[in-house]
Amino acid sequence: MSNKETQPIIEVRNLVGKYGDNLVLEDVSVDICPNQITVILGGSGCGKTTLLKNMLRLVEPVSGSVKFWGEEITGMEEREFNDKILSRIGMLFQGGALLNSISIRDNISIPLEQHTRLSDEMMDRIIKTKLHLVNLDNVLNQLPAELSGGMKKRAALARALVLDPDILFCDEPSAGLDPLTALSLDELILNLKKQINMTIIVVTHELSSIHRIADKIIFLDAGKMLFSGTLEAAKQSGIAAISRFFNAESHLNLTR
Amino acid sequence: MTELKLTNGILHFSGRLDFKTVAELDEQVSELLHKEQPTTIDVSEVVFLDSAGVAFLESVQDRIKSFSQAVFLQGASEDVKAVLTTFSALEIPPEPEVRKIGYFEQSGEDAIAFLQAFYQVLVMAADVFYWAILGLFSSKGQRRGSFAQQGLLLGFQALPVVSLLSLIIGFIIALQSAIQLRIYGGNIFLADLMSVSMVRELGPLMTAVIVSGRSGSAIASEIASMQVSEEIDALRMMAINPIRYVVVPKFHALTIMLPLLVVFSILVSMLGGLGIAVSYLDLSPYTYINRAIQVLSMKDIFISFGKSAFFAWLIVIIASHFGFSARGGAEDVGKATTNSVVASIISVIFFDALFSLLYI
Repeated sequence: MSNKETQPIIEVRNLVGKYGDNLVLEDVSVDICPNQITVILGGSGCGKTTLLKNMLRLVEPVSGSVKFWGEEITGMEEREFNDKILSRIGMLFQGGALLNSISIRDNISIPLEQHTRLSDEMMDRIIKTKLHLVNLDNVLNQLPAELSGGMKKRAALARALVLDPDILFCDEPSAGLDPLTALSLDELILNLKKQINMTIIVVTHELSSIHRIADKIIFLDAGKMLFSGTLEAAKQSGIAAISRFFNAESHLNLTR
Repeated sequence: MTELKLTNGILHFSGRLDFKTVAELDEQVSELLHKEQPTTIDVSEVVFLDSAGVAFLESVQDRIKSFSQAVFLQGASEDVKAVLTTFSALEIPPEPEVRKIGYFEQSGEDAIAFLQAFYQVLVMAADVFYWAILGLFSSKGQRRGSFAQQGLLLGFQALPVVSLLSLIIGFIIALQSAIQLRIYGGNIFLADLMSVSMVRELGPLMTAVIVSGRSGSAIASEIASMQVSEEIDALRMMAINPIRYVVVPKFHALTIMLPLLVVFSILVSMLGGLGIAVSYLDLSPYTYINRAIQVLSMKDIFISFGKSAFFAWLIVIIASHFGFSARGGAEDVGKATTNSVVASIISVIFFDALFSLLYI
């Protein structure tokens, strides 16, 4: 039991990743532990989103290994990857990435149709509960373009959660949201961890959000991993780039 | 007032050095420096300095240094010093030099890029055919009703523009030919000419060009904007093959709709020809229609249909290729669309020529 708890759910080893023609990740190794909120942080352009995309094979890594539940996924058959791994993962994209041509209901029903054989009536129930979970009611038949940015993001989160995934990836969940909506999103993420033992990986550079939710942080700088561990340990690590990053906040507090 | 003077090797500036004044000063300094180079710049009488002033002072220093002399800046007040440090460009590391690519290297790279794109189009074609054939048997991974919707959007809604243009072009060709035919008394051959040229060549070609402009651009821009807004990534995260979900319904729809549009285009352009035949060549409608049908062989009709379906595949595959290769922002969506239309029109005409050579 204890062994199982400490066993990382995702193991990334020596990952080298490209974005376009640029080498963005150099030899990154990361462990993600179950039932924790891991925050991947760092300044703009340090490779956070690229790390996420390489881990999920949205971009094929140049080299290195990525294991989910102990199984190597680089080079895995597409069908096997879809059935075994993707059906247990939800992802919230930066801009929501809802399909613009179809209604919110149709958007959220895609994963259900893909991975289950539920009746339409059952699907509707599940979709409604998930939308309610993210505080979004009465939007079923609307198109994504008819919603505000924050609502789109919450609808996208409902889509990511619709299959009760074991792992949830969030790419900058609070980017472009007002502080209140961002706060409620953070609370939702915390609840998901507490109530359904979800493992959550969040990419962000919002300091307040990091303080609220992070169990563990992974700090990237210029494509390299500088630190991995708890927030307190990071602050006391004395690594210059990390102190600069966190000092930005105390500086802000002073000027306020 | 802003002034400068050069005495005893000291260049004095006084007054304001800002965006308004430095342009004029710059000319004066250039003239001065040609005659005599100062060793010191004195700014003790400068009352105001902004980023243009700082850039100017540093530029003057650099120019004096280029005459191989050391130069000192003196007399800066506290305020001036503060502005100098804020806007100074001296600490900024120089931009790395970008290697210039020569003409031959560039053409070589373009050729390689073209070959790679060609290879990618082939891979895309293989993918599309695979999923399209699979999609005939199972609609899993496709949205319900997307085939009908795409048929309506890509095919049916192109009907007005296709028929209007076909009518006009049929009319023009018939008129020009009728003038020549009447000289030799070969009035009846207008029916032959219209029938063969429309069915074998112009019907499929015209329709394919119109559809690549209209529907091909729609496909490319839709996929490109989905790519840019991460919708394609989202589909893949939901274990859905984007080609199957997005491209296959369009592929099926256009494979059916383009040949139908071609049939329509041929009928309408023959109608244009009929107008000329009746009004200008005194043929009876019955003779014209009868002759037009008689002259056609099954082979002509078969080639016409085959070509149309092939053009439909070209349009969808090329548009998808450019759509999926879009990266970055909104600008790339426009680029992808333009490139896709240009490439698909060129390849439609190219393959039409190839077909003509193969089946004379």
